[in-house]
Amino acid sequence: MKRRVLNFALAALLSGITGAFAADPLPSAESILDRYVQVTGGKQAYAKRKAEIAHSTVEFAALGIKGTMTRYAAEPDKYYTSMDIEGLGKVEMGVNGQIAWENSALLGPRLKTGIERAEAIREGTMNSTANWRKLYPKVENQGIETVDGEECYKVVMTPAEGQPMVGYYQKKSGLQVKLTSIASTQMGDIPVELIASEYKDFGGILEPAKVTQKTGPQEFSITLDSVEANPVIPPGRFDLPPDVRKLVEKAPAQ
Amino acid sequence: MSSRYLILLAAAATAFAQNQHQLDLDSFEKVWTTVRDKHWQTKPGGLDWQAIHTEYRPRVEKSASPAEARAVLQEMLGRLGQSHFAIIPAAIYSVVDDEEGGPGVTGIDLRILDGQAIVVGIDAGSPAEKLGVRPGWQVLRSGGRELKLIIDQARSNSAIHELQLTRAVAARLTGPIGGTLSAAFLDGAGKTIDLNLSLTQPRGTLSAFGNLPAQHVWFESKKSGSSAYIRFNMFLDLPRVMAGFQQAVQDCKPCDGLIVDLRGNPGGIGGMAMGMAGFLVDKPNQRLGTMYMRDTTLNFVVNPRPEVFAGAVAVLVDGLSASTSEIFAGGLKDLGRARVFGTHTAAAALPSAFERLPNGDGFQYALANYISEGGQPLEGLGVTPDVEVPLTRAALLDGHDSVIDAALGWIRRQKTP
Repeated sequence: MKRRVLNFALAALLSGITGAFAADPLPSAESILDRYVQVTGGKQAYAKRKAEIAHSTVEFAALGIKGTMTRYAAEPDKYYTSMDIEGLGKVEMGVNGQIAWENSALLGPRLKTGIERAEAIREGTMNSTANWRKLYPKVENQGIETVDGEECYKVVMTPAEGQPMVGYYQKKSGLQVKLTSIASTQMGDIPVELIASEYKDFGGILEPAKVTQKTGPQEFSITLDSVEANPVIPPGRFDLPPDVRKLVEKAPAQ
Repeated sequence: MSSRYLILLAAAATAFAQNQHQLDLDSFEKVWTTVRDKHWQTKPGGLDWQAIHTEYRPRVEKSASPAEARAVLQEMLGRLGQSHFAIIPAAIYSVVDDEEGGPGVTGIDLRILDGQAIVVGIDAGSPAEKLGVRPGWQVLRSGGRELKLIIDQARSNSAIHELQLTRAVAARLTGPIGGTLSAAFLDGAGKTIDLNLSLTQPRGTLSAFGNLPAQHVWFESKKSGSSAYIRFNMFLDLPRVMAGFQQAVQDCKPCDGLIVDLRGNPGGIGGMAMGMAGFLVDKPNQRLGTMYMRDTTLNFVVNPRPEVFAGAVAVLVDGLSASTSEIFAGGLKDLGRARVFGTHTAAAALPSAFERLPNGDGFQYALANYISEGGQPLEGLGVTPDVEVPLTRAALLDGHDSVIDAALGWIRRQKTP
């Protein structure tokens, strides 16, 4: 991309032409993100989705470890995820209003704070794809890059708090096929790369049935098996677990 | 005719030498490439690794023997100035290979003390206990082989660490489940005792974790006076071991002290060190240490649990305490939360791997660097106990575990105003 920009600048200098080239203008980041909403179902499909339960399979292939993941989400910003990983036990995480938390057999309960909390709350926003304007005050199309042989627009989405996310949207289909960011975690800032593929219709919204995620040294895949659209969420599903509640009572107000 | 025979023989010898030479070159490439691709620094040891190839490859090409080629490889790895990069000669490597062992065990836990294989513990109900084997006895022979010969041979090479040596000797006391093993012991009175020991399932519950071979994992906790004592053989079987640790800590609320015995514990899931420390550390944002990899830095942060043990904590270690055991012991020591008793740990805190090279030599290399909270790398340095207490044969024969005794004494003194 840098090389292309450099060539353009050189050509402009030699020919004395000023101004933008009209031949191949880059679409705005806004239009790319709106197109992604459109090709995955459209605003109306997202508006109809008030709650969901997603069932997935998780696999750390290199380690030979598998697990299951169930994610409950509801408007406007509540979610609860439970993972059961072979040999590691249960890992739970959730957002209820302004409290973001995690609880695992390995590390015990903890409250997320700072940027990690802000990221979790963003992640907890129902229909975050359609709500990108609320989540990312600044978006920018940085050009075209090739992902897996396909030309993609590279869109940098900067939230009010936290690191930018870089999404790669296929020119041809409009689908997001790659997402990179720096995740702020308790253990430090960790580079994250997600490769999305096998988009399928789950209750009127297209979602990638397979996501391969590289988080630092670890790589794992998430296969989305099914999505229940607008189900009855079990009462108390988003309530804080007792150990997390104890931490909230001990913690200073956020 | 004889001349022709000699020529054929010479040709054969040359072919063999050329083949060996190629294997040495292949081994060089394997070592060089592994460091290039897997070392935690993009410039391993701050070196121009491509220039290292240019410098050393011709020297291996010119080497006249496997020993000479090996020396060049060792020199190249030495340029890294980092521990856990070693070439283990095939001949020595074979000493520590577990060629004849098996899953069956006698129930004896042994250590190499002063160059002797000494029984330091016996599993309750095991064949060894049933036949009257006692702590402090020396294991002289197993399956008719003198253990001292193996010990002396392995100790002659500095690349063989205490951890490997002890494992290699312990493997001589294993075999097929249901089989028997003849062993000779020297008891406390200096009398040689010959026993035929049955080989049974190892202690603990078979636990699988991903691609790791399934391991027998056990956990025990008990009260010892006004202190609690916790011991487990590996940081695995996470749900059961973490639950056991939590229960033991909760049961010990009124205790003066807690002893976590990590002697013989080779580690396992690194995160368990953080999880367990959460029961002992009440301040938030404390770290046991930091692991540095090529693209990522991971802080080993401790989450204080809703209920944290506030009494004195003693951690027991020895030369077989490795990896996660060192992260746990070293981190708590650096945070000033635990006092460490025993002997120096294995200094193998990293995911260091062993591979066999094309020429048959062994190659050890580290994949990351881990710095304990006190600022020292555990890899290569290990954890030095606050109180150095070696196990001795005399104390064991006398029915004492000098390390536990020292920890209990310290806990008692903490209570005394």
